[in-house]
Amino acid sequence: MGKIEWAMWANEQSLAAGLIYATGGIVGVAGQFRGWQFAAFGIAAGVFVCLLEYPRSKRGKGTSVERTGQYCFTVCVNAFGPLTRNYYVRAFLHAALCVPGGFMLATVLGCVCLGIASLIYLSAAIHGEHWEPILPRTEPPKRVGDSIKEPPQNPPPRPPPELRRKKADKLETAAYDNPMSVTVNE
Amino acid sequence: MSVALKSWRANEGPKHLITMVWIAANVFLFWKTFMVYFSEAQYYYLHKMLGLGLCISRASASVLNFNCSLVLLPMCRSLLTFLRGSQRVTGRRVRRLLDKSKTFHVACGVTICIFSVVHVSAHLVNMVSFSVRYSEDFPGLNVAQYRGQDPRILIISTVPGVTGVLLVLVLFLMFTASSYCIRVSSYEIFWYTHNLFIVFYVILMVHVAGGALKYQSNVETHPPGCLHNNLSSWTNHKAAGEKGAESSGAPQTVCQEEAHFQPHFPQYILLNCPSVSSFENHPFTLTTCPTGKNQTFGIHLRVLGDWTSRFSQLLLQQSNSSEILPMMQQRRYPTVHVDGPFGSPSEEVFNYEVSLCVAGGIGVTPFACVLQALFDDWRQYKLKRLYFVWVCRDLQSFYWFADLLCGLHERLWRDNRPDYLNVQLYLSNTQGLQSISEERYRFLSSRLRIGRPKWKLIFQEIGRANQLKRVGVFCCGPKGISKALHTLCNSNPHTETAFEYNKESFS
Repeated sequence: MGKIEWAMWANEQSLAAGLIYATGGIVGVAGQFRGWQFAAFGIAAGVFVCLLEYPRSKRGKGTSVERTGQYCFTVCVNAFGPLTRNYYVRAFLHAALCVPGGFMLATVLGCVCLGIASLIYLSAAIHGEHWEPILPRTEPPKRVGDSIKEPPQNPPPRPPPELRRKKADKLETAAYDNPMSVTVNE
Repeated sequence: MSVALKSWRANEGPKHLITMVWIAANVFLFWKTFMVYFSEAQYYYLHKMLGLGLCISRASASVLNFNCSLVLLPMCRSLLTFLRGSQRVTGRRVRRLLDKSKTFHVACGVTICIFSVVHVSAHLVNMVSFSVRYSEDFPGLNVAQYRGQDPRILIISTVPGVTGVLLVLVLFLMFTASSYCIRVSSYEIFWYTHNLFIVFYVILMVHVAGGALKYQSNVETHPPGCLHNNLSSWTNHKAAGEKGAESSGAPQTVCQEEAHFQPHFPQYILLNCPSVSSFENHPFTLTTCPTGKNQTFGIHLRVLGDWTSRFSQLLLQQSNSSEILPMMQQRRYPTVHVDGPFGSPSEEVFNYEVSLCVAGGIGVTPFACVLQALFDDWRQYKLKRLYFVWVCRDLQSFYWFADLLCGLHERLWRDNRPDYLNVQLYLSNTQGLQSISEERYRFLSSRLRIGRPKWKLIFQEIGRANQLKRVGVFCCGPKGISKALHTLCNSNPHTETAFEYNKESFS
């Protein structure tokens, strides 16, 4: 019901999955399990996935909340252009990265979690979402109105312009200048 | 910045105390279980086979047991409402602790995730140890079928292994969908994944079956270290499974229904409209509570997301029809299921002598119920003075309850208590010249200020006027306001007045 942004959930999942993958890899390498080379690959793949997924995408509508310090990651990820912008590429990349994890005990969980994240990314891509960088807006600063620099022409009291209109026949005796032209019979 | 001790003790003391007790319980459980598996005689041979992995995995399992049983309790709405409502069982301090139930739930959840990581890592090491250190001396102790069996087969072929993997997957789905961003952007993902907790608990019950870790049952006749080969049966180790489980548009008043409950004020209900969505329940604060004279209740809802916009379309489509039905007005309102009422922190407004209620925008709804109750009969409550501060972005928002505020003011003026209610309205959008121009709302227009409120000055004024009293501060609004108020409550310069901070939140 309503438009769900799958990519946001997939992003959280893949970040967590990357961490799980890397942790499993560390356990595997530290314990020198059989097949520890896969664990070493798991560490590298996990760290790479974390770095890729750290910058959040801009939301379709609504305010986007950045992760702390994500600006430099945004710039790096944005530099790859359509490779990182397209979620199909990400889905297949995660699917490919997770396969070697299945061959080793410690990284099995990381493999499954990354696989689930890859499926959600596929769903996001099918729904037509894509990654947008959150860049700081460079708006021109608000311009103060020019009239504020000119001193007022009339002595006090100074009513607002609409009350300053005087009847045309009393123009000679009027004490104020008329900013708006007046005609008889208005 | 000085810290007012009396206020700090009232606001932060009980919370920190409970946190310390909870952490101490976790540490004690971890340490005790660790020592049992490290040094007890019945686990001697198992410990020799598995090493430290056994102790860490069992210790983290006991912490997980404890937290899994606690994590559901803060979310039992009816239980919390019962505890809040019973005056004899709990005092005000305990009731204020109940406001922090969601924070406690999150703390237990995070602990479950962290210790799951520890538990899984330790069991991975155990799997490898079972495989590598296959014991021919004590065949009953083994989980592997032969030396060097692939540990992944051990995971798939044992009940704890398979259920463990499933548990981690469910926990992964639940955890990743519960971050603040996802809750704010698409609440349905969070809601539906979090309801997988039922699956989680069912699998958790099954997880301990199968008895992979065994203890020695005849320690007296065969003390550890003795090399006698006459071993009796190894008993399966059964660990005790603990049972544990809003944008634009003015709000519209909805459904004045016949009520069958006697609530305290204010409270919230859950609405479910099957024609909009069969699974979603949305909380709304009651703005009109039923009283002895008027047995109806009402809510104000702000149209912000897809559920509320669809709901409001269903309700308003009657008024768009241009046909004139002379005989019978056929109004087909949608069916609405109501669950509740559930208690909220703002119930305590009446139990202080002086209360300060701060509302931000639509957050005024809990206090609307308070004002309505005061309008009906202000004499029966302990409350002697109410400060009401309402901050809004648009001028139009003040019209939602303008009649109620003016009516209450007139009633108090007639009853010769003009100092009872002290209203300040703030318009935070400073563009343009805005004022409430209607004659009958003169009470409000003279109290309308443009700009954001200066909380320090307000606190100073309240402190000076109510010395030696305990002031209850109630906030329902955006995070910025509640943080500012919380800091001020703890550090106000008037040390004779104690400010007790209570916050109500919707998400």
